[in-house]
Amino acid sequence: MSGPFDEPEGNWWDEPVNRREATWLGIAGVWSLAIFGWMSGFTRFGDQNPVGETYAVEPAEYRQTVQEYKEEAEQTDEGHIIPPGDSVYIGGQRFNWDGLPVVLEAGREYDIHMGAYDVQHGFSIRPEHSLSQQINLQILPDTEWVVPMTFEDSGTYHVICNEFCGRGHNGMHGTLYVEEP
Amino acid sequence: MLSTITQLFDNDYDEEGFRTCSVTGLEIHRSAENHVKLFGLTAVVALVVGGSFAITVALTRWEFIGLIGEADYYRHLSMHAWNILVFWMVFMEIAILYVGGAMVLGRRLPLTKLAKAGWITMVAGALGVNYFIWTTSGAEEAPLLTAYVPLNIPTGFFASAIVFLLGATIAALPFFATIWKEKRWGTRETLPLVTFGAFVTSIIAVQAILGGITAFSYGLIWKLGIIETINSGVYRTLFWTIGHGSQQINLLAMITVWYFLTHVVGGAVVVSEKVSRSAFILYLFFINLGAAHHLMVDPGLGVGWKLFNTSYAFYGAAFASMVHAFAIPAGLEAGRRQRGLGGGLFGWLTSAPWRNPVFSATIFSIILFGFVGGITGVLMGQLQLNMTWHNTFATVGHFHGTVALGTTLAFMGLVFFVIQTMFRRDFLSGTLALLVPYFYAGAMGIATLAMIYLGILYGVPRRTSSVVREIPGTDFSISAAAPLMSLFGVFAVLAILGGVLFVLVAVGSLLFGDRLDEGDDAGLRPDGGLQPDGGEPVHAVDMRGTFGMCLIFMATFVVLYVLNWFLLVQLWSIGA
Repeated sequence: MSGPFDEPEGNWWDEPVNRREATWLGIAGVWSLAIFGWMSGFTRFGDQNPVGETYAVEPAEYRQTVQEYKEEAEQTDEGHIIPPGDSVYIGGQRFNWDGLPVVLEAGREYDIHMGAYDVQHGFSIRPEHSLSQQINLQILPDTEWVVPMTFEDSGTYHVICNEFCGRGHNGMHGTLYVEEP
Repeated sequence: MLSTITQLFDNDYDEEGFRTCSVTGLEIHRSAENHVKLFGLTAVVALVVGGSFAITVALTRWEFIGLIGEADYYRHLSMHAWNILVFWMVFMEIAILYVGGAMVLGRRLPLTKLAKAGWITMVAGALGVNYFIWTTSGAEEAPLLTAYVPLNIPTGFFASAIVFLLGATIAALPFFATIWKEKRWGTRETLPLVTFGAFVTSIIAVQAILGGITAFSYGLIWKLGIIETINSGVYRTLFWTIGHGSQQINLLAMITVWYFLTHVVGGAVVVSEKVSRSAFILYLFFINLGAAHHLMVDPGLGVGWKLFNTSYAFYGAAFASMVHAFAIPAGLEAGRRQRGLGGGLFGWLTSAPWRNPVFSATIFSIILFGFVGGITGVLMGQLQLNMTWHNTFATVGHFHGTVALGTTLAFMGLVFFVIQTMFRRDFLSGTLALLVPYFYAGAMGIATLAMIYLGILYGVPRRTSSVVREIPGTDFSISAAAPLMSLFGVFAVLAILGGVLFVLVAVGSLLFGDRLDEGDDAGLRPDGGLQPDGGEPVHAVDMRGTFGMCLIFMATFVVLYVLNWFLLVQLWSIGA
């Protein structure tokens, strides 16, 4: 009879395993493979994947790109950006989101380009009408990330920064207005 | 005062410096015992420091109170994180290595000068980290746990963190020497399970520490101007080898402590050496891949890389955890059934020594770690679900489930055990000691669940001091979360009081507790002694109680998994 302090006796490797323990090993093993299979499969058939093209880019370079995009874009009376095409550019900087507020059409697929000008930021977005519908993406200053998104529901979407970016981080907020076309 | 402290390091040893523990029956050498005490006491000091900042952090996040402003909040949060997540844990873990090595094997602790040098280096590093966090000013920012470059983090912080990690490496050397000596000259062919667990823990630790030294050195040479630019993605990948790897050390140390304590105070046996050891081997290969959890919604990393790593290679390590989830309670069930303690489905559990805080702390640790910390860890580690968890308050809930509930409860039990068996002090108040695990586990459990719901259902972010009452500069705020945030606040305060109670009982017993007489086991030994005498072979003992509990665990896991995915597919279409 061995406890965890003792050297196991005899040929311990060949000791039989209790049948309930063996059954549990089977259940746990099948579950492990099943959740891996689902996660992997969802990248093929699912509609919500944190996947998109990424490009190495200097922060200054990215800022320039966003600037050019803003110059090309039209603006509403309130000063909200209307993207000229399917691409939307957003640049995180201490302590606001360059490129926001922006007005988008519901049901249209946009390529959302995200990057940062200074430090790391967190792109945390949710519609005002349903706070539990929220996603969060990490934004890095040396990378441009292009994640396609199609907002089905019209409404006001709030972006807050959820990566610590310095004193002032609390107030880093931006808005997307999704309107019926 | 000095004599009180000196007395803490004294016991009745024989001429060669050994004594026999009246509870475990282990032959313990003075050198091992005193170093365990040294590292254990230092850990409790770190817990007190880090725990003090839990007060200011929790009372700030509970925005109804809003104790401190934004500028100070980050400093306080950094102090809380480093002292609890790193210093309390790592000092305890070095102590656990010495217990699992020298003590269990009945050997002297070799290289004691290195152990002391390691301790001094760790203390110097820890003091440095605290100093540089606290004195952050001007253009520099507090590091929080992560010191995410290119944020302007104090240079001295990176240097101190490296010193601490080097110290931990030095302090681990006597443990490695113990194992080497045992294999070279010892009589055992196979290491005992606890020693084996500690050995795997130490290998995981070396991987994590090397990664940490690399990450902080990268930050340091950038701060010193030796390199001009620093890549944030590369830093993140390096950082998380220590950032999460350090927490995997906690996990393995905690599981080793589970095997240890369920045996010595509950009478547990090892139901299958083969199965338990295989699970540790799975950890060895796969658990540190879990660091990738933090990079699931990062740009720049491929989908295949993310899928393989976040799943710890097809959930090899999550599977290992589920193996221990059966093996440890089954050990208790089998050991107690062999002694004829408690019949029926759960009689072995209900008749267990629930009035012994070492036992109750261990069992709460196992249950809460599994149901709260473990399940949420797998959920948030799924590539797609991570989008809804990343950097929300739910993440904070997850690691309070693992560290503040799981590991801290196990280590509280261990500290109580060490007070009675190594310091040989009786509790100042048995009733208060009895209350600690129930009070702390209950309050922290509810606070943790509140954090998870706040993050998932309301999208409340972590690392901010103001988001529910107001987001400065805008009309928008997550005000709908205010009632749940108040629930969190109340129970967080209660949990902190539970922690205060623990420290009062522990320190009070050390300083003012009655000395236990030689041979007095303080009522710690399980009914029927440490080893069941004879009976049927362990694999043939009925384990249906454990099986039933594991099925409840699996059902909970499946339900939470489905709910999380249900929430996710409500979202708009995201991703290529």
